[in-house]
Amino acid sequence: MKRMQPRQNNLGPRGWVWAGRYQMERYLYVLHRVTGLGLLLFGVIHLIMTTFFRIGDEDMWESTISVLHNPVLKVGAYLVAAGFVFHALNGLRLILQEFGFALGRPSPPVYPYKDALRKRRPWTVGMIGVIVALSAVLLYDFVSGGW
Amino acid sequence: MTDSGTKERRFRIQRYDPEKGGTVRVDEFVVPTRRGMTVLDGLLYIKENLDSTLAFRTSCRMAICGSCGVLVNDYPHLACHTQIEEFRSDVISVKPLPNLPVIKDLVVDLTPMFEKHKAIMPYIVRGDVEEMESPTREFGQTPEELSEYLQFAYCMKCGICIAACPTSASDVLFLGPQALAQCYRYCADSRDEGHRERLRLVDNDHGAWRCHLAAACSEACPKGLDPALAIQLLKRHLALEALGLSKKQRPAAVISPPTETKPKLPWPEFTVRVKR
Amino acid sequence: MRATRFHLLHIVTAVLIAVFLGIHMVRQHLDALLYDSEDPSSWASMIDRASSGLWAALYIALLAVALYHALYGLRGIILEVVPSPRANRIVTWSLIVVGLAAFGWGTYVPVHLLGS
Repeated sequence: MKRMQPRQNNLGPRGWVWAGRYQMERYLYVLHRVTGLGLLLFGVIHLIMTTFFRIGDEDMWESTISVLHNPVLKVGAYLVAAGFVFHALNGLRLILQEFGFALGRPSPPVYPYKDALRKRRPWTVGMIGVIVALSAVLLYDFVSGGW
Repeated sequence: MTDSGTKERRFRIQRYDPEKGGTVRVDEFVVPTRRGMTVLDGLLYIKENLDSTLAFRTSCRMAICGSCGVLVNDYPHLACHTQIEEFRSDVISVKPLPNLPVIKDLVVDLTPMFEKHKAIMPYIVRGDVEEMESPTREFGQTPEELSEYLQFAYCMKCGICIAACPTSASDVLFLGPQALAQCYRYCADSRDEGHRERLRLVDNDHGAWRCHLAAACSEACPKGLDPALAIQLLKRHLALEALGLSKKQRPAAVISPPTETKPKLPWPEFTVRVKR
Repeated sequence: MRATRFHLLHIVTAVLIAVFLGIHMVRQHLDALLYDSEDPSSWASMIDRASSGLWAALYIALLAVALYHALYGLRGIILEVVPSPRANRIVTWSLIVVGLAAFGWGTYVPVHLLGS
């Protein structure tokens, strides 16, 4: 009998975003990626702005700055700021946890199982609280004008 | 007619038969379920009474062999260890574990997982090759040294962590949480002297650093192994090794079996005396 | 241990970005706190900073760490989607070329303005 090839069943990149009802730490990872890519995009635009449009004369610079007064770009600026706050604070959590410093020691599993990251859930929630608070402060600053 | 306590629930099972066309479809079966029935009981009922062509793996039916990993209502479970009533739903959807190739119906090909597991040298490696190959004495290990890796030794290679891992979802070359956790289990074992070799096996572009701490593996693991913790501790070992700061780990010493035996106990006094 | 060293550099640059970007943000957006009467995005303020070697050094340093951190992260994401040794070579070398080009250009501008 001809040997059949098993069917590939990988979720692919869609599996990064949704693979079932998992807990929040998985979605923090997705958000870290999304904010990272968003910041990369902003970085490219900012680099172009501060080099190509900077070495010209004052008029070229002023016209570039005037483009930034567009409300869509202003909202984009807020998203960049909030994204940076998330990426930085979550990154700090990752640095601490990725080397096992903030995760505790291995312990024999006792049912119902609680793994190291779930045990550290209060800290993660605290971090999210700080992120939300800072984003709210930035939002207040944004809404009250001046950006 | 259903007697009291029995409720009819619908099992929606993803089918795939390469010998009969190879289309992926969902079959629905009505199964009488009672409190205390596991998903495996439901699958066995279907196979025995409704459709004997349903293919799935099962062996110990007590969550120790790792055969029956399936995706139940979009979350990986061991079928034998999962109560039907815990879903609080009349529809139980059963699919094969993702991120592993499917052979038929709910049977997945675990070969990629075993190949990656073999690749990280999952055995004790000693400098003294002769002692390792033909041991004459035993290795001494204190309970503290045992507790460093014992949690990760409970792995039964069920593949559920790989099904949960987002990196395994897209990267077929990624070693996976199972192999990486077992790599740490052997590196942390005080009896082992091969951690330098083993660390170099995971120090590549599809090794330990492609783990991003989503920790879905630990969440889904049916044995409470916490592969995420093992991988992060492995990263610490990797970082220390790369910086040249790794402590010279003294491997567990060989201990001769005790030659002196305990003195023989005296014969006990007879408590019943027969009067002749 | 090469992959580990690149990843450790990713983490070191993360911390350095936080430091340099923090200074940049304070200068650009918290100017009210610095009692600076000049708008930091105005032409005059930028001319002022362009003649300062210290600011040029800061911008070049920030560009270097940000480029490394961002491109290493991007490389990780791309390699997870197309995992093959050939893709690895193509992606890594393309990103190195892009990174060096961006760094060269991004360094040339403040140095050129410093001289002028």
